[in-house]
Amino acid sequence: MAEAPDDEFSPETFSGTFESNIQPFFVLHKALARKVEKKAPAASAGKARRKIDLSPAKLRHCEGIEGGCGDGENERCMERLRMEAFDSVWSKIESTIQDVLKKFNVNLFDDIFQWVCESFEAINVCQTSRHVKANRSYPIITDAASKKISIGLVLTKNLDFVDDLLTFRDLGVHLKSHGCHVANLSSLDFSAKAGIGGCLKIMLRQFLMISSDAADISVLAAWYSEQGLSKPMVIIIDDMERCCGSVLADFILTLSEWVLKLPIVLVVGVSTTIDSARKLLPSNVLQYFSPSKFMLGSPAEKMDAIVEAVLVKQCSGFNIDYKVAAFMRSYFLRQDGTLTSFIRALKIACVQHFSRQLISKGLSTLFLVEDTLGMPFDMRSPLPEAMLKNKVVERTGEKFSHALAESTRRKNYWSSVLLCLHEAGKSDNIQLLDLFCEALDPEFHKFVASDKNTNLERELGAKMSSDYCVYPQSFKKNGFIRQAVNSVRDLHETQLSQILENWERHTADLDEINEKVKELRSIISDEGKGSLQESINASRRITSRSNLNMGKETANEKAASLIKSLVREYMRPFEELHCFENADNLQSALIGDPRRQIQVDLLDVQKILKCNCCSKKGTILLPTMHDTSILYTLAQEHGDLINLHDWYHSFKTIINPVVNEKNKKKKSGTPKKRKARDEEPASISEATIQARFCRAVTELQITGLLRMPSKRRPDYLQRVAFGL
Amino acid sequence: MDTQKSPRRTTRLSASSTNHPEAAVVYNSHLTLDDLVFGDETISSDELLATLAGRRRQTLELLCHIGPLNSPMLPLFVYGGAATGKTSTVLQVFKHLNRPFVYSSCRTCYNPKILFESVLNQLMLHTRSSTNRYSSFKRCEKPSDFVNFLKEALVTVVKNLKENLSKKGSKKSGEHAKGSMVYLIFDNLELVREWDKSSTMLSFLFRLYHILNMTEVGVIFVSNASPDVYYSNAGSMDLFPLHFPDYSEDELRTIFMKSQGNSKLYSSFLGIVLKPYSRVTRRIDELSTAFLPLFQKYCEPLKDSGTALNEELKRKLFTHLQPHISSSLNEVFHAPTHSGGNFLMDKEKLRRKNSSKRLGATERVDEMDFHMSASAKYLLISAFLASRNPATLDASLFDSTGGTDSRKKRRKMSEKTKEMKENAEQELLLKGPGTFPLERLLAIFQCITSMSEDSLNEDQDEDIGFEVGGDSRLMADVLLQLSSLCNANFISKGGSCPLESSTRYRSLVSEDMTLKVARSLNFPLSKYLYRR
Repeated sequence: MAEAPDDEFSPETFSGTFESNIQPFFVLHKALARKVEKKAPAASAGKARRKIDLSPAKLRHCEGIEGGCGDGENERCMERLRMEAFDSVWSKIESTIQDVLKKFNVNLFDDIFQWVCESFEAINVCQTSRHVKANRSYPIITDAASKKISIGLVLTKNLDFVDDLLTFRDLGVHLKSHGCHVANLSSLDFSAKAGIGGCLKIMLRQFLMISSDAADISVLAAWYSEQGLSKPMVIIIDDMERCCGSVLADFILTLSEWVLKLPIVLVVGVSTTIDSARKLLPSNVLQYFSPSKFMLGSPAEKMDAIVEAVLVKQCSGFNIDYKVAAFMRSYFLRQDGTLTSFIRALKIACVQHFSRQLISKGLSTLFLVEDTLGMPFDMRSPLPEAMLKNKVVERTGEKFSHALAESTRRKNYWSSVLLCLHEAGKSDNIQLLDLFCEALDPEFHKFVASDKNTNLERELGAKMSSDYCVYPQSFKKNGFIRQAVNSVRDLHETQLSQILENWERHTADLDEINEKVKELRSIISDEGKGSLQESINASRRITSRSNLNMGKETANEKAASLIKSLVREYMRPFEELHCFENADNLQSALIGDPRRQIQVDLLDVQKILKCNCCSKKGTILLPTMHDTSILYTLAQEHGDLINLHDWYHSFKTIINPVVNEKNKKKKSGTPKKRKARDEEPASISEATIQARFCRAVTELQITGLLRMPSKRRPDYLQRVAFGL
Repeated sequence: MDTQKSPRRTTRLSASSTNHPEAAVVYNSHLTLDDLVFGDETISSDELLATLAGRRRQTLELLCHIGPLNSPMLPLFVYGGAATGKTSTVLQVFKHLNRPFVYSSCRTCYNPKILFESVLNQLMLHTRSSTNRYSSFKRCEKPSDFVNFLKEALVTVVKNLKENLSKKGSKKSGEHAKGSMVYLIFDNLELVREWDKSSTMLSFLFRLYHILNMTEVGVIFVSNASPDVYYSNAGSMDLFPLHFPDYSEDELRTIFMKSQGNSKLYSSFLGIVLKPYSRVTRRIDELSTAFLPLFQKYCEPLKDSGTALNEELKRKLFTHLQPHISSSLNEVFHAPTHSGGNFLMDKEKLRRKNSSKRLGATERVDEMDFHMSASAKYLLISAFLASRNPATLDASLFDSTGGTDSRKKRRKMSEKTKEMKENAEQELLLKGPGTFPLERLLAIFQCITSMSEDSLNEDQDEDIGFEVGGDSRLMADVLLQLSSLCNANFISKGGSCPLESSTRYRSLVSEDMTLKVARSLNFPLSKYLYRR
């Protein structure tokens, strides 16, 4: 999981995470990063797919060009303010996310620790009853049932395990702080190349903190007996599926020879299903396990927690509008599905917001004002010197702060109602992100605004199967808000009171709503008591049961109508002064589409290289152009298959026009001839041309645009993946 | 551990530990010759035979071969299937004999260097400790070095043993090593075959006895594989083979009965389960893993009633257990949820069930228990299709008309060459999922995403806002998704070099799983799946 988005962007983590699986992307990315700097920054700053340069220098560079018209002094001041604004906002978001995720996992971590302790106890009992000597080389002779390795399978519930790298690191830290010896092994350590020796070596290094020459498990035994034999040893492997099965099997079999002598407990991440263990490991390994299952929260739950803390509850004052929210939602659901990428998107949005979204320069200061204002409504908190100088702030003054306060107040109401809706929808697995998107939807607002006093209630209450085609789009069958409202009707009594309790908690700061909720709650609890009393009195009579049902019915209706009225009243559209709304920019920054970009860039290479020699000529191929670019442009003339011979010859004619000139002497004018002679004093030798050709073809192959000739057609190359 | 030691011997033998007296404070690092024996209380021959139930003949044979005190022996080759008690028997015999031995498992010692050093460390009574940076007694990688060191060490040890004997001859010694023979035990020998292709290591180990040429050394190999498989590697072997056959059903019964308290109940339990299970496997470890949960199940109805075991109760227990037997026969691996989170889980499940019941069939709850992004799901489906469908049908299945009228075409074709087709299909079925190149996968992916995009836009999901970018959005990350699918072992990749043109993929997903995925996307999988 991505607690520290900071780390995500650091090259270390990237190389660690992605090195193995997206080597081609890495190549592409490197090339792109260079291009980005050369291109006009406003258009392409975000094109790099994997790494977004967030260094201050970069931002300054962007803005310097963008707002080039302003006078230098003011400009620099603005820049600094923007940076400050971004820093303060993002650090808030970041720390909020970290807190949320930490809270999210803490129960599971405690669970795991408890289980580790139990397993250790069990091993200890066996040990003492059998006088185990850890340093002996021969295995303990006992019955097979007690020769088990405790293994905790942590289901991460996400195909991509990027989010959980940090979870397992945190788990390691957590267990260490509770006094276990911990080794955090990555799945990459279990590679077929390094074999069993590789992972043993890394394990020893993690436990012993010194590197020993031999990766021998008896070293571990010696070390452990020096440590006093009092703590469990936990080995954490982050993702089992990515391990090489045979190496992992060897590793576990080796451990099994030391079982009882070394109290080793395994914690293994499983990203898909428990069955994958069965697929990966042979049965003679599996039978050594005494497994336990642990569930991490699903990504959707984590996402809800983050959305609640960051976007709904407004930890920072950074908002996104409907389009952006919808994009981020669809990106999460359809594209990447990792929190890491969601947080990355959020960060990019934040960067873009502060760097180029602000047309009015005062808005960044506005942010700072709101920041200081947002928490305790304290206008008199010391503002940065530079900001006080700023005219915008002076001009707006008190009025402005009032407007802001009002906006914050409304936003608070909005958030609380949304959270209440989420609370109601939880039983139907409606996610906060969905509700959030729908609530931001202008269609929804329009709808609420248009007939808020007429038939909203009826429509909201209408069953899903009924004629929804009449209603506006947002109330079609995917209307999450309506679903949530509806679900209130079908709740059990206990669930309902639970929800009301939560509503009360959510609306604690907002007296108006809180009153209503409390009122309803007291009514319901009275009713509940009454009906309970009744049912006790008239113990097995049908009438009492129907009475009870009636009571429940009405209570549910009341709750539903309350939430409906809340939606109607507080979920009004409110004009966001400062929210990020450029979804397209975010998209290009986040996705980048490197493959297409590479093809585009190869086709007009002048735009990027900006050399003097070939910029004038436009699209005509010149010998001074980059070989790869020439070849790729030539390849456009062919179809799927490229005849190697033809291709080579057209390449040759372009980079070595001298050959050409013998034929074209009469046709071509002198200037070209002269020019060619200027640039290519001596005609290039055949060998050089071939070498250059080969290199260019290889480069195209590496970028994944070409496939080498097959045996069946040795003289044809194949173009790969156009348009992708 | 026996800490008694004579100062003269330690100065000579364990030089490393005397050099670092502080190590002894932390951990008793001074080993003596007596640490070469098994260590615990010795057991009598009756006890020995009692503990090794079902291995009486083998134990006696082993004892016989090892012979009386100080008698030389030929190298012994103990072999038999997994979990037939080879290692236990050998170790118990040495516990009984109380003679010095050196045990090395070729599993833990996974390469020659570690094996050599392990043997030398034990012989030289060397302990790894932080003071010697956990290094071994001597660095030894080559067999020739090993022979020299080993000979040296053996001579010293044997000499010391003899001195010991003469000194303590009169004393009655319970834990002191008996005799002046040293036995080298190499366990899991079958693994050595994988160490090097030329199997020099194996023939070296087999000839070790003759190379050493010392009568005071006994060599015992323990192996899963029978001697036949070593002939090709090592040529002739001068080994005395001792076979450990699989346990018979009666032997299994005695073994399982031995470890149980409530013998009556357990024997009735064994009466039910042992027969069906022993047809599947006779390995003690597998059986005991399988029996443990079954026995708990078996005892479930007994919890409240303290009645004596009679026929009626037995029958009742049997009917209780019966449905679980066959299912557990197929189950290799079962992971229970840890009790801490159990309650929450159940609640969650209940809630899910409730909600799904309420919503009815119109809205299916996503049944997959892990998260996958939609594009990964589509990719998984397209990989599945690419693996199952013959490549020649792609064009007709995925043409622009959406595969509706293409069916006719296919049918016509199959009528023509029905028989040939059937044969080919049979072959396809036997071959399992086929391989496909990346391009085909991407093409199918593009087809099914564009198709489902259309249908998606038609009937729902305006709020998703997906129509903004069209399907190019889905394409952007495909290779990344593919690699994560490969990592999750859903798709296997042939060929190691990504640049090589011949990289072919194969889908490893079961049809159930794919159906689940397709259902979660509302994707009509059966429409695109080619069947006979």
